[in-house]
Amino acid sequence: MRPFSYIVAGSVQEAVAALHEHGRDARVLAGGTDLLVEWRHPGARVPRVVVDISRIESLRDISLEGRDVLLGPLTTHAELIRSGVIRSEAAFLASAASTIGSPQIRNRGTLGGNIMNGAACADTVPPLIALGARVTLSSVDGERDCHLSGFYNKPYTTVANPNELLTQVRFPALPRGTKSAFTKLGRRNALSISRLSVAAVVAVDETGVITDARIVPGAAQTVWKRAMEAEKILIGNPPSVALFAEAGRVVSGVLIRETGRRWSTEYKEPVIAALVRRTLEKCFAVND
Amino acid sequence: MNPTITLSFTLNGRPQRVDVSPNRTLLDLLREEIGLTGTKRGCDVGECGACTVLLDGRAVNSCLVLAPQVAGREVVTVEGLAPLGTLAPLQEAFIHHGAVQCGFCTPGMLMSAKDLLDHSARPPEREIREAIAGNLCRCTGYQQIVEAIEDAARRTHEAR
Ligand SMILES: Cc1cc2nc3c(=O)[nH]c(=O)nc-3n(C[C@H](O)[C@H](O)[C@H](O)COP(=O)(O)OP(=O)(O)OC[C@H]3O[C@@H](n4cnc5c(N)ncnc54)[C@H](O)[C@@H]3O)c2cc1C
Ligand code: FES
Ligand code: FES
Repeated sequence: MRPFSYIVAGSVQEAVAALHEHGRDARVLAGGTDLLVEWRHPGARVPRVVVDISRIESLRDISLEGRDVLLGPLTTHAELIRSGVIRSEAAFLASAASTIGSPQIRNRGTLGGNIMNGAACADTVPPLIALGARVTLSSVDGERDCHLSGFYNKPYTTVANPNELLTQVRFPALPRGTKSAFTKLGRRNALSISRLSVAAVVAVDETGVITDARIVPGAAQTVWKRAMEAEKILIGNPPSVALFAEAGRVVSGVLIRETGRRWSTEYKEPVIAALVRRTLEKCFAVND
Repeated sequence: MNPTITLSFTLNGRPQRVDVSPNRTLLDLLREEIGLTGTKRGCDVGECGACTVLLDGRAVNSCLVLAPQVAGREVVTVEGLAPLGTLAPLQEAFIHHGAVQCGFCTPGMLMSAKDLLDHSARPPEREIREAIAGNLCRCTGYQQIVEAIEDAARRTHEAR
């Protein structure tokens, strides 16, 4: 790894001051599970200054504010999985975190790093988009809020400026009784970087019809977004295997229309459809 | 640029002070500066688990931790599992069950197993398999390793 200067930020103020001073020469370091791999690549762009934020305790909280869930960016994937708040208010975010890397990666890798790295295969992003999450960016000029759905221009490219620090992730808890699930297809079980995944939320009212449906495919398109056309098919109907299969076909149809046909399309088309159907079914599975 | 920094942390229960360049990893520090070579370097990119150590009680890939990040924290390596000349129940169980063949994955496996057993007294087999999912072994086929961890859990539990 090429040499760099190393700054430990003790607080958000210190971190944003360092980012302000060093601008594009600086890089924020959290768990390092993306950065250390990146910096070892031959010819990698190693920053001149590394700003280590891993000791800022205030960025580590998981809490509820009314019905809003607030997450500090330093929350690790392991902490998301263990969190009672996440398990009860957004269970599929914990499921998504549990598919990441390995125990070692989950103990070290953070939510903020996953969001800011913005790989097409970032597993926490599809559930967060389905949850309508917003992120707070802080800099010496103050704070601003962005919807995660508008946060990425393309994979690995966010609207954040180099002098901005991600300081909070916030989303409304799922209403009571609402079901959620996450499914991921990888090459192997552990350490599989997801190539295709689906996050889904479904709510059914007392008459037995679907009143809320959110489907976000991951790692299949250039930017994450809800599959609105498929969601519309679900709303107002009672859940059924046939309905879920139809939604799956619509999602894969839309994705292929948008990304164009490629060598992988023939594989992806039925797989996405099946993954969507399975994820919707999982929402209603007893043990999920 | 990149002057060395003096780092203080707890290593295997003892205070440690060492000078290190900030662009070195915890794995570099352990093996090359401190000379504890029990922790192995396999892939250097977080995929094989041979470099697993405990950081504040949790298993991490030491190849993905920047050395200065451990300042003030507690690191346990395979050398810290038992006093010199003795073996921890986990280590004995690995030998007893034939869970060590070439041995390259063993230190990392032991540290992942240690994290598991420190947080879960009698984990079911599924949890054991999950706990070592980030540790590759090219020799054993994993079954003996799983059995060794089950056995160590049982013995530790009975001894309590
Ligand atoms: C073997 C292996 C397997 C993996 N498997 C998966 C997987 O299955 N799924 C998955 O999604 N990911 C996976 N990853 C990727 C990685 O572990 C995750 O993306 C992790 O969440 C990154 O978090 P971190 O804290 O380690 O990030 P870091 O490496 O510290 O940082 C990542 C990026 O985010 C920026 N950053 C971090 N925090 C902030 C902040 N608060 N404000 C501004 N910028 C910030 C950094 O500057 C950097 O650009 C894997 C990685 C490895 C090595
Ligand atoms: S050497 Fe660290 S995971 Fe392979
Ligand atoms: S014993 Fe050889 S790699 Fe596991």
